[in-house]
Amino acid sequence: MTNQNISLVKVRNTLLLTMPADPDDVTVTTLQEEVLGAMEKYRPKGLVLDISGVETLDSFFARTITETSRMVTMMGGQTVIAGMRPSVAITATQLGLTMGGTFTALTVDRALDLLAHPHPRRRIR
Amino acid sequence: MAIRSKLSGTAALEDVEGVGSQAFLASIVECSDDAIYGKTLDGTILSWNRGAERIYGYSAGEMVGKPVSVLVPANKPDEVPAILERVKRGERVSHFETTRVRKDGEVIDLSLNVSPIRDASGQIIGASTTARDVTEQKKMREALTERAKEILDVSTPVLQVWEGVVVAPFIGTLDTQRAQQFMERLLDKIVQTNSAVALLDVTGVPAIDTRTAQHLIETITSVRLLGAQAILTGVRPAIAQTLAHLGINLADVVTRSSLAAGLRVALDILNLKIITQEDQAKGAQSL
Repeated sequence: MTNQNISLVKVRNTLLLTMPADPDDVTVTTLQEEVLGAMEKYRPKGLVLDISGVETLDSFFARTITETSRMVTMMGGQTVIAGMRPSVAITATQLGLTMGGTFTALTVDRALDLLAHPHPRRRIR
Repeated sequence: MAIRSKLSGTAALEDVEGVGSQAFLASIVECSDDAIYGKTLDGTILSWNRGAERIYGYSAGEMVGKPVSVLVPANKPDEVPAILERVKRGERVSHFETTRVRKDGEVIDLSLNVSPIRDASGQIIGASTTARDVTEQKKMREALTERAKEILDVSTPVLQVWEGVVVAPFIGTLDTQRAQQFMERLLDKIVQTNSAVALLDVTGVPAIDTRTAQHLIETITSVRLLGAQAILTGVRPAIAQTLAHLGINLADVVTRSSLAAGLRVALDILNLKIITQEDQAKGAQSL
C-alpha cells in the first residue's frame, strides 16, 4: 500500500507540494482544496508541484493539475510542475494530457529558479 | 492392418477404381520437396516419401513401422503425443515450428502441418504430416532481426554537447518503433544529465510525412512535460515546405535551420554567451 499523504510546505514565498507515487482520486481532490486554501492563507508567489515520485498519471489527475494551475494563476500565483518521469511524460503525451501550457521543470531546484526569474523561455521564438 | 496395406502396398492401390488418378496423386506425394509421411494415431510411421528421405536422412525402409519419436529431440518428449491428441479430436496443426533430429544427429528447424486421415466412414485412423525444412529461413530471419536491432541501436544516439544541452541527431525514416525508442532515450538522457535544452536535429531525415511529424511533435511535447525545452534544428527548405504543406502547426516549437543556430538558442536559454578572445581583449582594454 502506497502512502497517500500529500505534503504541502510553504518555503518563503513558494508553496511546495509533493505527490505520492500512485495518487487516488480522493488524494487528487484533496490536492486542489489544500493548495487553494494555502494560496488564500499565505499568498505565495508560486506553487511547485513535485511529481517526481508519481508513477502513473491518469486523465483525472492531469485535468486537476491543469485546473488547479489555472485557479492558482487567478489567485495571483504561478504553478510549475517539477520532476515528471520520462515514462510518465511518454504516457501523458500519448493520452494527449499535455497540461495545457503549465510551466514545467526538470527538478524542484529548477522550478524555484523559474519562479525567481519568470518567463525566461518566452523570449525565444 | 487395413490402412497399412492401403497406403504402402501397391497391390492394394491397383484394386481400387481410378488407378490412374491414384497413381498420379501418389507420384505427387513421392516427388514433393517437402517431407510427407503418414502415421497411425499412436505415432507409428506408415509411409515415407522421398522428400522425407532427403530432409531426415532415413530411407523409407528404415522408417516405415518405426515410431515417429525417433525423430524428436530428447528435450521435447511431450510434443508428438500432444500433436496426436489434437489430431484425434479432428484438429489440424498448421505451421508448427519445431526442431527434429536427422539420422546424422544434426538438429534441423522444421515447419510442420499435421492433419487427420479418415477412412471411408469418416473415422480418424491416422495422421499425415508435411514437414518443410526452415533452417535456412530461420537463420535468415534471425540475422535480419539482429541487424534491425543493431540499426535501431546505432541510429539513435543522444549526446550531451554542453552542460545542460543534449543533441539528438535523427537519421533515416522515423517509424513508430524507432520513434518510441528515440523518445525514451532522449527523455532518459535529459533526466540523467539534468539538461534544460534538447536539440532535435532532423538534418539526416530524408523526408518527413504526417506520421513522422506527429512523432516529432509527441517527442517535443514529452520533453516539455519533463521540464526541458526542445528545439527542432536542421529544418532544410524541403522539410519546411513539407511541414507547411501538411498543415503541421509548429508555432509553439522553436525551430532553426541549422544545428549551430539551434545551439546558439540553447546557450541563450541557459544565459550563456560565446565570447571570442578578441572580444575579451577589447573588454579588458576598455576597463
